[in-house]
Amino acid sequence: MIMVQAIVRPEKVYVVLKALLDGGFPAVTKMDVFGRGKQRGLKVGDITYDELSKEMLLIVVKNEDQAAVVNTILRAARTGDKGAFGDGKIFVLPVDESYTISVGTKDEEAP
Amino acid sequence: MKQILAIIRPRKIKETKEALVKAGFSAFTGTKVLGRGRGNVDFRVLHAAEIGTEEAIARLGDGPLLISKRLMNIVVPDDKAGTIIQTIIDINKTGTAGDGKIFVLPVHETIRIRTGERDTNALQEQ
Repeated sequence: MIMVQAIVRPEKVYVVLKALLDGGFPAVTKMDVFGRGKQRGLKVGDITYDELSKEMLLIVVKNEDQAAVVNTILRAARTGDKGAFGDGKIFVLPVDESYTISVGTKDEEAP
Repeated sequence: MKQILAIIRPRKIKETKEALVKAGFSAFTGTKVLGRGRGNVDFRVLHAAEIGTEEAIARLGDGPLLISKRLMNIVVPDDKAGTIIQTIIDINKTGTAGDGKIFVLPVHETIRIRTGERDTNALQEQ
């Protein structure tokens, strides 16, 4: 089981959520985050914005669905064909166990 | 060490905190999150909208696509994870869809910034 953590542009988040739904991955958790990347934020004239608003999505899936989820997010979150600085990052973490609280038992496989 | 990510109903957070303190774990990080599971999507409406039924397309935005939840982030030693998970399930289980999920992730290292203590020492409660 893996957790895909995707940090995407706020204006793209509903495009990504729709793409995930269409791709068969409805279960998602979304939170507001602030961050910067290796460009050290955004510089406009003399002013530097180094805490840029982003949305983080958490998606837990089976190992074999990793490529499908990552590719879905990549396609939906990219700006234009070539992409642009600030489109975000995707991290993939291992998950040992998962529980559905309403059932109260350990899940045999990812939700 | 394990990181326990519990996504629960917002109104259950107080009860869960109290139960965790009683079980001997007071430390956690909480975040307001929005989310959806399998149950919050009406696939009949979605399929009808894909075919092009106007009524269904109009209803697409009606449902609570993302529901407000609380994410509790708790880091514990391996042998304590089971107790915490059971405590969270006992408090939060109502048996209906939307009770939430618990994910358990491995943690490589923990450091208490104030003292520089590492791993299990850094997790010890005062």
